[in-house]
Amino acid sequence: MAIPVIMPRQGQSVETCIIGEWYKQVGDQVKAGDLLFSYETDKASFEEEAKEDGELLAVFYEEGDEVPVLTNVAVLGRSGENIEEFRPGGVGEAALTVPEEAAPAVESAPAAETKEAVLSEKREGKIKISPRAKVMAEKLGVPYEKVQGSGPYGRIIAQDIEVAAESLPKMTLLAQEKAKAEGLGAGEIATGIGGRVVAENLVAYNPVYGDDFEVKKLTNMRKLIAKAMHQSLQNSAQLTHHMSADARQIMALRKSFKKKLEAGEVSQNITINDLVCFAVIKALKKFPQVNTHFIGDSMRWFNKVHLGLAVDTERGLMVPAVKNADDLSIEGLSSQLSTVAGQCRKGNIDPELLKPEAASFTVSNLGNYGVELFTPVINLPQTAILGVCTIVPRPKDLGDGVYGFVPMMGLSLTYDHQALDGGEATLFLKEIKEQIENLSI
Amino acid sequence: MPKVQFIDPQDVRKAGEVTFSPIPVNQYNKSIEEEKANFSKEDFIRIYHDMVVIREFETMLNEIKIKSEYNGVAYNHPGPAHLSIGQEAAAVGMAYTLGVEDFIFGSHRSHGEILAKGLSAIHKLSDEQLTEVMENHFDGKTFAPVKANFKGTTKELAIRFLIYGTLAEIFARETGFNRGLGGSMHAFFTPFGVYPNNAIVGGSGDIAVGAALFKKVNRKDGIVVANIGDASMACGPVWEGLTFATMDQFNQLWEGDMKGGLPLIINIMNNQYGMGGQTCGETAGYKVAARIGAGLNADQLHAERVDGYNPLAVIDAYRRKREILKEKRGPVLLDVLTYRFSGHSPSDASSYRSKEEIEAWQAVDSIIWFGKQLMDAGIATQEELTSIHSNNTDLITWGLKLAIDDSVSPLMDLGKHPELIGEMMFSDSPVDSMEAGREPEVNHPMEENPRVKQMKTKERFAFDKDGKPFSKIKQYGLRDGLFEAIVDRFYKDPTLIAYGEENRDWGGAFAVYRGLTEALPYHRLFNSPISEASIVGTAIGYAMCGGRVIPEIMYCDFLGRAGDEVFNQLPKWQAMSGNVIKMPVVLRVSVGSKYGAQHSQDWTALPAHIPGLKVVFPATPYDAKGLMNSALQGTDPVIFFESQRIYDIGEQFHEGGVPEGYYEIPFGEPDVKREGKDVTILSIGATLYRVLEAADQLQEKYGMSAEVIDARSLVPFNYEPVIESLKKTGRIVIAGDATARGSFMKEMASTITELAFDELDAPPVVVGSRNWITPAYELEDAFFPQADWIIDAIHEKIVPLKGHVVKSNFTGAEQIRRNKLGV
Repeated sequence: MAIPVIMPRQGQSVETCIIGEWYKQVGDQVKAGDLLFSYETDKASFEEEAKEDGELLAVFYEEGDEVPVLTNVAVLGRSGENIEEFRPGGVGEAALTVPEEAAPAVESAPAAETKEAVLSEKREGKIKISPRAKVMAEKLGVPYEKVQGSGPYGRIIAQDIEVAAESLPKMTLLAQEKAKAEGLGAGEIATGIGGRVVAENLVAYNPVYGDDFEVKKLTNMRKLIAKAMHQSLQNSAQLTHHMSADARQIMALRKSFKKKLEAGEVSQNITINDLVCFAVIKALKKFPQVNTHFIGDSMRWFNKVHLGLAVDTERGLMVPAVKNADDLSIEGLSSQLSTVAGQCRKGNIDPELLKPEAASFTVSNLGNYGVELFTPVINLPQTAILGVCTIVPRPKDLGDGVYGFVPMMGLSLTYDHQALDGGEATLFLKEIKEQIENLSI
Repeated sequence: MPKVQFIDPQDVRKAGEVTFSPIPVNQYNKSIEEEKANFSKEDFIRIYHDMVVIREFETMLNEIKIKSEYNGVAYNHPGPAHLSIGQEAAAVGMAYTLGVEDFIFGSHRSHGEILAKGLSAIHKLSDEQLTEVMENHFDGKTFAPVKANFKGTTKELAIRFLIYGTLAEIFARETGFNRGLGGSMHAFFTPFGVYPNNAIVGGSGDIAVGAALFKKVNRKDGIVVANIGDASMACGPVWEGLTFATMDQFNQLWEGDMKGGLPLIINIMNNQYGMGGQTCGETAGYKVAARIGAGLNADQLHAERVDGYNPLAVIDAYRRKREILKEKRGPVLLDVLTYRFSGHSPSDASSYRSKEEIEAWQAVDSIIWFGKQLMDAGIATQEELTSIHSNNTDLITWGLKLAIDDSVSPLMDLGKHPELIGEMMFSDSPVDSMEAGREPEVNHPMEENPRVKQMKTKERFAFDKDGKPFSKIKQYGLRDGLFEAIVDRFYKDPTLIAYGEENRDWGGAFAVYRGLTEALPYHRLFNSPISEASIVGTAIGYAMCGGRVIPEIMYCDFLGRAGDEVFNQLPKWQAMSGNVIKMPVVLRVSVGSKYGAQHSQDWTALPAHIPGLKVVFPATPYDAKGLMNSALQGTDPVIFFESQRIYDIGEQFHEGGVPEGYYEIPFGEPDVKREGKDVTILSIGATLYRVLEAADQLQEKYGMSAEVIDARSLVPFNYEPVIESLKKTGRIVIAGDATARGSFMKEMASTITELAFDELDAPPVVVGSRNWITPAYELEDAFFPQADWIIDAIHEKIVPLKGHVVKSNFTGAEQIRRNKLGV
């Protein structure tokens, strides 16, 4: 019985792969384990083996073709068998494209399309299936349209569905991937079609703590953050450089602004963070390649600086943007930053300002919490993010062989290596350091 | 043939001749002056009055039918009205002497008889008795509209009750005598001794005999009158009833006070027409119907023709004939000559008779003639008679208005209570004894019975503790199970009787009754004539009157001989009576084999098709005893199928064997005889054992485990266990010995498909007999379903069995071919 060869799926976000090289030609005899073809994702190259013996009956895509994952690319079988039903775009293929956020019902649909399923010759006319077999197929998630009936008049009967169901994996495709990636296993609960384990049923089985935990559902906010963070790390090439800046000047400025505030000369409480942001904006003006969005095959270079500020709220992390921040005075910037932060905490922030696309660069300040060093995660599609750490006294050469303890502020710049190279990033970070150390208002 | 009766060839071969006595024809010859000695003025007036009541009642119906109006009251009655206008003197004369304890049975043309008998009963009952009857009938439902605002005497009230109850019944009102479920042709009222009238011509001809049998066997007062028409003398069941009624054994073999004839008068209401045919001169040859008596027994049924246009002549005959019945010299046949002015029904234009003929009879109209006689004899004045007429017109007008008033006489509300009729189909009431408190008549204590003693030595389970079967002779068989249930009931219910063509001495052709002869006096177990219509028909009459009875007709194939009784009478009367009547009749029917086309048919589908019958077919001793106990405990008609293949089969399923004590198996519950998981085989009757063979082979050869379910009952039937099994297996074969087409198996297949479509992995497959005549025993394997047929059918239609080679053709193409040919 002919079986299709499908384009495997490599990674959650991969939707298509490119055929690299066909190692076998149509008409070749193939043994299970033989390499059939190579293919590439945007990140890596893979090779696909034959799962069964047979003749390569058809190849649907040529080298260099971009092929959606899980699409039939070839057919293995016995000489003379019909291959038409496997041709992509034919009946039954429509169900193969699975949305990324697959609901359980959809998740398992492609699972049944795996090579182990008992698949039939293309049949003429209506599908003959007994009511029992139909109910069973629906319950077990078996795509009966493709099952060969063994009953009278070629009717699909219950035993055919049972056999087909046995050949289906016990986990959905997504669950299989997730289990592999996260080292999880099937628990006692299986809520998928036909009692299959879906991704959300996976549990981290641990013989030490057993069930000593409580599973709490994520809030939507948490889910959004999780997704954004995960995607960020999945879809970019991030790395972080660390540097320290002498904070004496900035602390002095802070001190003087505080005095002015107390004296009533200014109305705005200018914080260290405001001053750092002010310095960062200045640095960005000098490094426009950092004030960008990386969008795959191109980048957005912004004329203005739209500064994102990571704000910790009760509901989780939010990053509001201050538009045209480079137009603002220190008081103006301070005022705007405190306004958007306040709106985030109250929950009345304009959602447009929270979109990652709203900012061209982000500052995340954990200095207040005593964090000395961290690797902030880029708010994609932005190209970089600056992490501001706490101020710690460090020994410094004060000149003439005199060493003294100087308050130093940690700076952690995470950048997308796709957009920036290490040298550029280092120079940009150094520019921030210098702006901070020499900030004048 | 009882041994006590020696058939001496010397004797019966002697030359001689059969002689007949003259049959009197219209011999009554008394003047009204002479009759003054026998009747008071009130009696004479009452006879006149009762005739006028009937005449007016039927005149009203005639006008309603043809003009949709009577006396200014409009009404449309779409149902039947077979009128007897012109026959009033015959009806009143017949009923005049009868007491409440005397029962009459009638025909489709019996309004006059209902009223005459009712009026006679009202005259004889006390006010208290009448009130009780009226208050108790359906808890006063019929009485309520009648008594409202009435201020006259109880007798007057009772007459109104009679008119209203009958008319409401004719108009299908819920307040009618039978809740409107009987109607014109079946109306009756047992508290006045009016038993079912019958829309099948001659239907009462055997049923009334059973009623007389009930009176005789149970020593009940009263006689039974079968009012049947002259044309019904051509009906087989009437002859069968007469043959049954005149059996010599009543006089020659029945013992003690049971010796003697039945208290029965066959009253031929001879109106000289049957539909459009004239019995005298056209469709019969007897000329005088009374002649028939001469053909039936040496007493010639004491037959005579009476002038039915003179009520006094009829009354005279009844007085004389009652004496004969008292002397146990019945039955009696009366040919009461009369004439209907009306047609067969109001739609009949009487084109088959001349105007002159009708006018000639109208000229001797019994009501006019009798009124003139009364006036001539100075018994009544014209004014008195006129006032009787006008009073009756008022009475009938009142009755009509009340009976068509929907607010007091509603139709049964089947919209609001859609199951009302369904609830009346069966009485479903367990009754130990139909006459509690009376000692059953038996010849010896049960434990002294030779069969009972012999059964003590039998093995009540087929296998020993090592699983080896006991020898056939040692095994307690299915026939033993039946016997045990039946003998037990004979010792519990004094009314229980059994009869059939070979029941006494022989003990039944299949030895079920062996030992019963010793236990029971003649009148409780006897041989009947070979006339299935009378066997079943008399049982119906017997049960209607309150007795329990087991008629037996040997072969299932003989059901056709009792077709009307089984299909039109037995199933109908409980519901048609509005549940007044119960029908505790267990009709034993045996499915044969080896005896060819007319002795080997499983006709379970026929009674199962007719609403109102319960149908069971046990296949094991345990089930046979339990189901027979249930059948005999109930009050519903049961067609109890048995199979001649398995009378000797031992109990192979019920753990511990067949219990010695009493137990019941509820009707309708199929039984899982073997559990399995791959395919369900539902079996009807003796086919069970072939199904088990098939199940063995399926397991051995194909590793397929079959769940075998024995239907046991057909009506009622609980599908739930079958569906439960199907949930497990998804596949079902229904097997039985009936020819497949139109069988109950097909009914089950269809119902199962409707109920469990989503459970089915293949359509339910019926494996029945071929649609042929049953061939000779030697060829039966090609006709009856065999184990390998079942496997072939599974292979072909349900799931292909690996490596199976079919022997028979169960393909769809073959099925189409056979159906095209009708075989």
